[in-house]
Amino acid sequence: MRPGKLGGSMPNVYIAGAGMTRVGRRSEPLQELMADAAHGALAEAGIEQPGMVVVAAMNPEEFLGDGNFASNVATYLGLADVPAIRVETATSSGAAAFYAAFAQVAAGLYDSVLVVGGEKMTHLATPKVSEIIGRSIDPYERSYGATMPALAGLITRALLARKLVTLREIAQVAVKNHANAALNPYAHFQQPVTPEEVMESRMVAEPLRLLHCCPISDGAAALVLRAQRTAVRVAGVGQGTDTLAVRHRDSLTSFKANRAAARAAFEMAGFGPERIDFAELHDAFAPFELISLEDLGLVPPGKAGRVTLDGETARDGRLPINPSGGLKARGHPLAATGIAQLVECVWQLTGRVGARQVPGRVALAHSIGGLATNNWVTLLEAV
Amino acid sequence: MTEIAASRCPRCQAVVAPPATYCPWHPVAMTPTTVPGVGEIVSFTTLHSAPEGFRSPLHIAIVELEGGARFVCHGDETRGLRIGSSVAIEAIDDVYYFSHLGALERARLFWRRAGHAGDRVNAIARSLAKRVLNRGTRAS
Repeated sequence: MRPGKLGGSMPNVYIAGAGMTRVGRRSEPLQELMADAAHGALAEAGIEQPGMVVVAAMNPEEFLGDGNFASNVATYLGLADVPAIRVETATSSGAAAFYAAFAQVAAGLYDSVLVVGGEKMTHLATPKVSEIIGRSIDPYERSYGATMPALAGLITRALLARKLVTLREIAQVAVKNHANAALNPYAHFQQPVTPEEVMESRMVAEPLRLLHCCPISDGAAALVLRAQRTAVRVAGVGQGTDTLAVRHRDSLTSFKANRAAARAAFEMAGFGPERIDFAELHDAFAPFELISLEDLGLVPPGKAGRVTLDGETARDGRLPINPSGGLKARGHPLAATGIAQLVECVWQLTGRVGARQVPGRVALAHSIGGLATNNWVTLLEAV
Repeated sequence: MTEIAASRCPRCQAVVAPPATYCPWHPVAMTPTTVPGVGEIVSFTTLHSAPEGFRSPLHIAIVELEGGARFVCHGDETRGLRIGSSVAIEAIDDVYYFSHLGALERARLFWRRAGHAGDRVNAIARSLAKRVLNRGTRAS
C-alpha cells in the first residue's frame, strides 16, 4: 500500500442509473448532450435531484470557449441548487469524476451523486483538435512536435522491435472492436473493417496507421451512484500515475500507471484479475489494448497478441474485451469515455445490450489519462 | 561533442534533460549537471501529419544519453536507423537533432573516450560487434 493511504473496508456503493448519447459527429451543444445522458441516468434511478453533481470535461475552455463548467452544466441541467464540482485528468477525466462521485457516497457525505461527462470537438478542424488534446503532453516533448499519435508511434515501434506483438495482432484489435461496434447503436462507427484495410490505411506516425487510431467524437455519458442496494455494486476503484514526460520512463512497452491502477482496484475489491468476465479497455490506439491486457493481469505477459488473434477477446471468446467497440469504434469523446465504458459495463451486467450481450458478473473498465500519466481501473459486480 | 544541460536528483541520482527544478519522483531541488550528446535510440517515429508549426514528415526520437537521461529530439532522416542505434546529438538554433553515427565517427568517439591504446582497440571492436548485434532487436 502507498504511504499516506488508509486501508480499511469500504461501504458499499451501487449504480442506480446509467445513460449516454449516441457517440459521433453531433450538432447539439455539449450541454444538451450532457443533459440527455444525465436525465436518462436520473430517470432510471428515480431521482429528480441528486445530492451532488460531478462534471467531467477535458477541454471545454478550448473546444467551446466555456469556463466555470460545473456550474455551467449544473444550471443547464436544472440542478443549479445542487453542489457541483468539475474533475479533470485529461482523457481519463470521466473515470476520475466517477471516482470522486464514488468517494462522496462511500464517505457517507451524500446518498446519491450524479456523474456526467462529455466532450464536443468535431466542429473544429482535426489539426486544431490534435493540438488541443496534445496540450496534455509534457511541454518539452510538445515543443518537438510530439502529439498523442507521435508518442503512440514511439511506443508501437518499441513493441514491434521487442517482438512483443505483430502488426497483424495490432490490426486484429481494430477488426474486433469495429465488429463489436457494428452491433452498438451508440457507436461512432457502425461498419466492420478487415485486417488488410487496417494494415493498408494511411500512415499517421510510423508504424501507426489511421485505422489503429480512435476517431474524434462528440458525446456524453452519465451514471447515478447511490448508497442503497441496486443490481450493480462498485467493487473497486484504483488510480495509477506516472511522469508527465514519456521520456522519463524506463519502459515504453508497459505502463506503470496501468499496473498501479490495477493493483489498487483489485486490492480494494479483495479479488484478482481471474474474476473478470469481460472488460472495456482504453484502446485510443489499438496497441494500447494489447499493452493493457498484460499490464492489468488479464492475460499472461507476452500473450496479448496471440489471445487476440485466437479470438479469446472477441465477443464470443473466453474474455470479451471492448464489447461496446471501444474507443477505437464506439468513439472517444474524451471526458465522456471513462463513464461511457462504465455505462456499457452496467448495461452488460444487467442484460440490456441485445445482440452484443456477453455473459458475466464481474466487469473491468480501464481509462488512460494523457499518455498513461493518470490511469484508472474500476471494477463493477452484479449482485 | 555537444554537452546537454541536465539536472540530477540528490536523493535518487536520477538525471533528467532538459533541466528541471524538482525531481519528478522526489519533492527535492535538483542539481545542475551536463551529459554528453551521444546515446542510443530508444524509439523513433515519423509523423506524416505534423502539428502546426512543423513540417511533415517530422522525425522524432527518444535517445538514452550516456549520462543516463532520456532525451527527445528531431532527426534529419531515419534511413538505416533502428532501436539501439548509436546517435550523436547536436543543437542547431537551440533545437536538438540526432544523427546516426557512421563507422568512422563511432571509431573517433571511442578513440577520444578510450584511455590508452589497448582500450582503444577493444572499444572499436566492441563498437563494431555492437553494431552487428544491433541489427537484431533490442529491449527498449
